[in-house]
Amino acid sequence: MAQNPRPTSILETLGEELVRIITPVSICMLLVVILVTVLSSDSSSTVTVNSIATIAYTETTSDSTWDKFVGALLNSLVFVAVVTLVTFVLVLLFYLRCTKFLKAYMGFSSFIVLGFMGGEIALFLIEDFSVPIDCITFLVVLFNFAVVGVLAVFMSKMAILVTQGYLVVIGMLVAYWFTLLPEWTTWVLLVAMALYDLAAVLLPVGPLRLLVELAISRDEEIPALVYEARPVTSQDSRAGVGQRRVWRDRRNENSNDVSHSNESIHSGLGENGSSRLNFNVNASENDSTLVRAEEGRVPDRGQELSAPLLEHITNAQQRGHEDAVSGESMVLEGIGLGSSGSIKLGLGDFIFYSVLVGRAAMYDFMTVYACYLAIIGGLGVTLMLLALYQKALPALPVSILLGVLFYILTRLLLEVFVVQCSLNLIMF
Amino acid sequence: MTVAAGIGYALLALGPSLSLFISVISKKPFLVLTVLSSTLLWLVSLIMLSGLWRAFLPLNSSTWWPYGLLIFTSVLFQEGIRILFWKVYKKLEDTLDSFADRVSKPRLYLTDKMQIALAGGLGHGVAHAVFFCLSLLTPAFGPGTFFVDRCSKIPFFLLSAIIALAFVTIHTFSMVIAFNGYAEGNKVDQIFVPSVHLVAGMVTLVNFASGGCIIGIPLLYFMAMLTLLHCGKMVWRRLMENQQRQANM
Repeated sequence: MAQNPRPTSILETLGEELVRIITPVSICMLLVVILVTVLSSDSSSTVTVNSIATIAYTETTSDSTWDKFVGALLNSLVFVAVVTLVTFVLVLLFYLRCTKFLKAYMGFSSFIVLGFMGGEIALFLIEDFSVPIDCITFLVVLFNFAVVGVLAVFMSKMAILVTQGYLVVIGMLVAYWFTLLPEWTTWVLLVAMALYDLAAVLLPVGPLRLLVELAISRDEEIPALVYEARPVTSQDSRAGVGQRRVWRDRRNENSNDVSHSNESIHSGLGENGSSRLNFNVNASENDSTLVRAEEGRVPDRGQELSAPLLEHITNAQQRGHEDAVSGESMVLEGIGLGSSGSIKLGLGDFIFYSVLVGRAAMYDFMTVYACYLAIIGGLGVTLMLLALYQKALPALPVSILLGVLFYILTRLLLEVFVVQCSLNLIMF
Repeated sequence: MTVAAGIGYALLALGPSLSLFISVISKKPFLVLTVLSSTLLWLVSLIMLSGLWRAFLPLNSSTWWPYGLLIFTSVLFQEGIRILFWKVYKKLEDTLDSFADRVSKPRLYLTDKMQIALAGGLGHGVAHAVFFCLSLLTPAFGPGTFFVDRCSKIPFFLLSAIIALAFVTIHTFSMVIAFNGYAEGNKVDQIFVPSVHLVAGMVTLVNFASGGCIIGIPLLYFMAMLTLLHCGKMVWRRLMENQQRQANM
């Protein structure tokens, strides 16, 4: 309207951090939904997944509802127990500073996820769409893809888009495998993991809280497989020191009254992590071979002042199996503030959000939209709480519980209502 | 009727909102957040409504007055949500203004406020289109199509897409009118929005009669056009006034 340029209003840049973390979460969920709809349309080849998550009870469609529920509960308890154990081992290893080992292990586990899980899903897709490709080309492409992925999450010197892309792909692959679990087990597992996350981060004896406090006391970064949104370059010069460490960052932020945009959103937050075990199944084998893929983290030393992207730790635990390599994967999840002030979200959060939405996609698209909105709303609430409380917070509980609630409400209430109105062409 | 048709129906309902989103909203992250939160709010109101009416469903589909009652209560409820949205926005505006003062940037311009209102309305419209049209579109991606008895000449998916488009327009622009009405204390605008919503809802009752959609849908589009024109007039007037005020200062 006015001819002379007027100063830019705050609306131009406010909320940018939040959108930068919502976008990859949405992309990951979208990819999982697409995968689920494309690959489950031909349900003739049902992949039976045997993993630790179904060790206690295998769901069959002929069981009664109560049986299924109890079975799912048992499964989830076993899973959460194993996860707790592994997290404590991670804390122990972090305490003993076995970083090189963890680093190597992390690279290896990323390779397993991208190579084997990605390869299996690619095989399903090739089968479905009858893509004409020969074995050798496929293997070469897959190998290159996996190696570049390992390098991307391993070393932070790659273009940030590549790293972010690979993290989203890893999240998508693991989430897709989780959706192959039986239905009741998946839902109860999600709720159980949300409650575990809550306990592990907030209780004084929780493993994640111990991890966070260890990192603070040592003034080290928590190694974790996290997604860090691209940092926003602020116009006003922030304290020129590129603050690498979360804890130092937090102390600095608290001491001076930095007034910059998005102040209300990041006011010094700790990073939160929890470990996750991701169990993968080599479905092609007839017996239940457990292939456990791992994701780990490596502590990044000697990182430059430009925003360090990822810090990784790897946790290693080897258990032999016939042919497949196994180990445990630790994925850190939770929300925290990156060293440069951008928001970090653990990869486990990506995975479980996508599992919820993928499961909802197996029912109908209306539940997908409802659960998506619920999760994004939950994420927003968590970030607001983060700005309010200024300490490490679990990212799972609010979103997962809201998502499950909306799924149930949509399935029971909304669907009938909307279909009734629409079929009579009555809308408002 | 194949993926192309499915995508076509989806774009029919959501095309204008998509272009609005890409051109105006995606540039400002705050507006994206506004769209998402208003979509969530609309969904919550829809779930509450369906909870309320669940006990009475499925309704007898030969009489029209239960549906009339349904529409009446739903519109009333959603207008109440709109007032709630306005109150939350008012508080947010104060927060944003004080924040702008702290970072020594100018306070919210008039166009900013209108854009926030537009984003809120777009959220409502998109929620309507998604839940009343898009979520039922899944069979349209397959090999067949579906016709309803009451309007048996046009595929159901096309009908719902067209109706959704009208409602998206109405929702999007009534939010702008409503916010402006509340801000200025303009009674005409304040009454205009709920009444248009109610009339539009009732007009879909015309679809109840067999073959009624031939009349019902054009009437609905008439309401949508009315909303658009009124909004355009009001925005033009406000901007002109604002410019006058700027020139006089």
